[in-house]
Amino acid sequence: MSVREKASGDTLIGKRIPKMDAPQKASGKTRYVHDIDLPGQLHAKILRSAHAHARIRSIDVSEARRLPGVHAVITADDLPFQRPIGVAKDHLPLKRDRVRSFRDEIAAVAADTEEIAEAALKLIKVDYEPLPVLATAEEALRPGAPALHGEDLVCVNHNGTTEVVHRAAPNNVAMTFDYDQGDIASGIAESDAIVEDVFWLHYVTHCCMGVSGVIAEFDSNGNLTLYSNSQVPFLHRREFGELLGMDPGRIRIIQPPIGGGFGSKLDIYPFEPIAIYLAQITRRPVKLVFTREEEFVASPTRQPVLLKMRSGCTRDGVLTFRDVETVHDNGAYTSWGATTPFVMMQTISSLYRVPNCKYHTRAIYSNNPYAGSFRGYGNLQATFAVEAHMDRLAEMIGMDPLEFRLKNAQDPGEVTPQGMNFKSCGFKDCLTIAAERGEYQRKHRANIARRSDADPIKRGVGMASMLHVGGGAKIYQSDGCGTILKLDDFAHVTLITGASEIGQGSETVLAQLVCEELGLSLSSVTVVNNDTDITPWDVGVHASRTTFIAGNSAIGAARKAKDKILAAAAVKFDGKADAYDLKGGAVVERATGRKLIEIDRLIRSLHFSEKAELVMTTFYYEPPSQHQDKKFKGDVSAAYAWATQVVEVEVDTRTGIVRLLKVNAAHDVGRVINRLGIEGQIEGGIVMGHGYALTEDLIVDHAAIRNPNFRDYKLVTAPEIPEIDITFIETMDGEGPQGAKGVGEAPAICVAAAVANAIYNATGVRITALPFTPERVYRALHGALQSPAWDVPT
Amino acid sequence: MTNVERYLAPRSLSEAAEGLRDGNVTILAGGTDLMPQSKSGKAKFGACLMNIRRVDELRQILRTAAGFRIGALTTIAELRDSPEIRNDLPALWQASDHFASDQIRNAATIGGNLSNASPAGDTLVPLLMFGARVVLASKPNGTLQTRSVPLAEFLLGPGKTSRKPNELLAAVEMDAPPPGFISRFFKFGTRPALDISTISIALGAVHDGERLRDVRVAIGAVAPTVIRAPHVEEALEGKALDSATIAAAATAAGRDIRPISDVRASDWYRRELVHNMLERMLSHVGHG
Amino acid sequence: MSAMVDVAFRLNGVHRSLRVPPTMSMLEMLRDAIGLTGTKYGCGEGECGACTIQVDGATINSCLMFAADCDGRDVVTIEGLATDALGEKLRQSFVEHGAVQCGFCTPGFVMQAHHVLKKIPDADVEQIRRGVEGNLCRCTGYKKIVEAISAAEDAR
Repeated sequence: MSVREKASGDTLIGKRIPKMDAPQKASGKTRYVHDIDLPGQLHAKILRSAHAHARIRSIDVSEARRLPGVHAVITADDLPFQRPIGVAKDHLPLKRDRVRSFRDEIAAVAADTEEIAEAALKLIKVDYEPLPVLATAEEALRPGAPALHGEDLVCVNHNGTTEVVHRAAPNNVAMTFDYDQGDIASGIAESDAIVEDVFWLHYVTHCCMGVSGVIAEFDSNGNLTLYSNSQVPFLHRREFGELLGMDPGRIRIIQPPIGGGFGSKLDIYPFEPIAIYLAQITRRPVKLVFTREEEFVASPTRQPVLLKMRSGCTRDGVLTFRDVETVHDNGAYTSWGATTPFVMMQTISSLYRVPNCKYHTRAIYSNNPYAGSFRGYGNLQATFAVEAHMDRLAEMIGMDPLEFRLKNAQDPGEVTPQGMNFKSCGFKDCLTIAAERGEYQRKHRANIARRSDADPIKRGVGMASMLHVGGGAKIYQSDGCGTILKLDDFAHVTLITGASEIGQGSETVLAQLVCEELGLSLSSVTVVNNDTDITPWDVGVHASRTTFIAGNSAIGAARKAKDKILAAAAVKFDGKADAYDLKGGAVVERATGRKLIEIDRLIRSLHFSEKAELVMTTFYYEPPSQHQDKKFKGDVSAAYAWATQVVEVEVDTRTGIVRLLKVNAAHDVGRVINRLGIEGQIEGGIVMGHGYALTEDLIVDHAAIRNPNFRDYKLVTAPEIPEIDITFIETMDGEGPQGAKGVGEAPAICVAAAVANAIYNATGVRITALPFTPERVYRALHGALQSPAWDVPT
Repeated sequence: MTNVERYLAPRSLSEAAEGLRDGNVTILAGGTDLMPQSKSGKAKFGACLMNIRRVDELRQILRTAAGFRIGALTTIAELRDSPEIRNDLPALWQASDHFASDQIRNAATIGGNLSNASPAGDTLVPLLMFGARVVLASKPNGTLQTRSVPLAEFLLGPGKTSRKPNELLAAVEMDAPPPGFISRFFKFGTRPALDISTISIALGAVHDGERLRDVRVAIGAVAPTVIRAPHVEEALEGKALDSATIAAAATAAGRDIRPISDVRASDWYRRELVHNMLERMLSHVGHG
Repeated sequence: MSAMVDVAFRLNGVHRSLRVPPTMSMLEMLRDAIGLTGTKYGCGEGECGACTIQVDGATINSCLMFAADCDGRDVVTIEGLATDALGEKLRQSFVEHGAVQCGFCTPGFVMQAHHVLKKIPDADVEQIRRGVEGNLCRCTGYKKIVEAISAAEDAR
């Protein structure tokens, strides 16, 4: 999409535009999935495993079935044609024979009320034979460890044939990734300084304020309607079709407003197929909603990573190599967490210029909770390591850490060894501006001098940058988005987009882009985005792609509509189409701005005339990116985005409490479309990163989650937030809608890395494991902290 | 499904005490502990659920001749809003300010906090330091009677008190602190309030500008109940508040506390915190 | 055999009477028995504030309150602020300041902010932050929420 110059005062672009759905939400009128009740609906509850690892000898549901008000109780035995979910297809919704984690779904009940369903769960008798528990990936790799998926997973099809859907993993290795660029050996040989660390990136979880829920209903023709908060409704439609042995065309997904996503709704989790099975069996709508405890226990986590990294540079400060190995605890079943290496390798190979790079990852089965997709998708973990080493290398060669970064930061037009083409790139501006606004260099030096003084309260500043896709990510066959647009006789636009709204304000941004093209006010737009029966295909909300791709799609459809209107104007006013424009709800003379006719009048004249035409257009936008080849090389996104964050912390050495005082963030966003919305995304992402760095810790101990509640899993609260200062670097990306690039994940990605560097600046102590809880920091300051070790069998 | 067969909502202390006579009663005040505990199964309902929130006589902050009497139904918000509490019992005021959240402060009662007997109970720490006594009311023979129990004897263990099943916690009383008495409360945490205590400390003494007299120190979350710290008190009593005394007092705490390791903190860290935070509080007092 | 409790109370200015199980929470009563879905279930334990309502002029977590205890009391939910002047100012301010993203926490915040501003009409930023310390938000990072509440105050 061609980029306009920054327009003048009457443009909507760059303005502070309140979200279109905000008034409804602020009144409490918005109906989330929890608030929807269908006539005749039943309530479902799931029985989860009492053991982390066990054989199921028997399940007796007879008493539960007899409880008054219970309509159905199902186990895997009732589902002979059950098929697996998840990227590796190793995960049956209702478990057969064996449970591999505390989340495991063994049985499910549909009853008249939630209370009855819960009472029925208590009547289900399960006979377990406990098996040895693999509580870490390392244990799972040791010789003699039980194989958690030691047999092929075989499913039975409706036509009686059997199929191996997942091959056995006798050594508990679920997935591996290998990536390299250049030659590590020569990189090492060229290095004057080399550092090596082992990092531990911990379990955290999404904590969407709205818990997971779904409603499934079959109509009398056997068509399925799902009220689902899926972030990828079209992909899920196809997957549900496969799961159920049904034509996906007969599955309709309606997306009620979502109570938070952050990636948690990117995969199908057992509760959705389970609700569908119950709806099928009872022939009633079935509603299944989690409790908060269940949300903690059963939702995917962020991918925990044990990461070993060695990196080097020359004495002049040129990066030479990065050599990374990781162990990803895959948990009991494979979800998106195992694929975070795709994103991690981008950062490891291309955040700053590194000629030589080697990256090896293993995702290992264990009895722990499995990880899914979570804002940043592995990039937080990779950036934590990379930016720790940037500081360490700079210190080792005696170079200023900002200078060191600037020396290795890429410029626009660079293509990385991985094949990423940095057409627009504001990396150096991000570094310079964040450092300036955070007074980084002055404070950094001053804090080092204060480390050994008598004041127990230390101050530190730290810097970290991030690189993430900003123009989609071509990991599926298509990374596109479809739009259908109509302009009615009153010049009211209905914009039907495949792109979902997950609270990030995408519908408002799309409306802005369309109104900008058509010269209309925002009140003229209705966005329809939540029904797969109506909306055209979009791959989904992930990879910060929606503004870029759905935006370009909407602009495409709007421009076609504009062309049609201007062509009609040309006929009416006997001129050439390019002599006219659309502004302020009217057709105007492009050269003089003189108003010729209101748009709605022109449309009506087109409609109620011999031509008898309506203004209806469609557009499918596929970004000009590439699929990666088998070596993971390729220009996987149409644009890339950067950010640098400089943080200031206060460390109380008497308690270990770290307070995040200030964040100066500089984000290369291409172009600001909705200033209010983008600020909100960045502030929210920063606070999420704050939690990841300092307060959030999902304690997984012997495969059990010890703190499945808000009392002991600490989200950041209002009194704790830092001062936030944001600068937008507008690099005007050539392909982005109005020059914009994606930003949804960026702000969360480098906070923890910056905080680690700030704590080092304040205290001289480097901590390589998250989170920086008071006790962990206190132990580190007193030499009582054990650093993560690499005790991994090969 | 619960087995509550009767629901009572008495309007007087006498009526409430009457309702307790036959036993098997679960008392409801603010509900902020009872509701989550019953939902989690930690607390089971008796056959009778008695909501005492309408017993207005239990809801008052009174200055008596000897000191203070705080009715059991006084909410934490009312404590926080009370100028008397703020001026005369500052450590109790600070505890109420660091208590949970506004929504919980508006409902939670001091009687509920006392009855819940958490080892980390926020108001319990300053109350113990102030030498509070709980007033228990009952009607065993048809006449209303009360008895007064020092807090240290009332709190028996986590969730356990010496309240008999037919007794109602009606009030908490304490003598007015002597003239020149200063008090401080500290609760460790990364948040101002919404935190279950990892450790908390209440410190009180008469400070004549140089020495400390009538020293009382109470610590929470380091033992099965909140406790006084006699070794700390001994190390401070009558002494000038210099750095040697402060160091000795902070170290002495180690002999008074028996912290455990749990999901919130390890025992080692709790010990370090008590030492460091006591030191800090005493230094602040020392500097005026 | 469970007793049932009769309650008669004012809900958003309208007198109501119901019969409720003794251990039902206010949140369950409002959402399931009465059908007012603006008040949200966030955690059921009083840690997140999504269920915040006002009872006798003060905010409480409805998930912690026993429905039986509403007898004779004055209850206001987010729906009840529809016709309230300060409620309208807050709503507008939340919208204008970008304080709403997914919106799930918003009713709880508006209820709590309403109470804070009624109690402390000239609350400073620190008092506002402390005032909403019992309300969790995962989307906004709180900055715009605090700004919105502050601005609603100035607009009075």
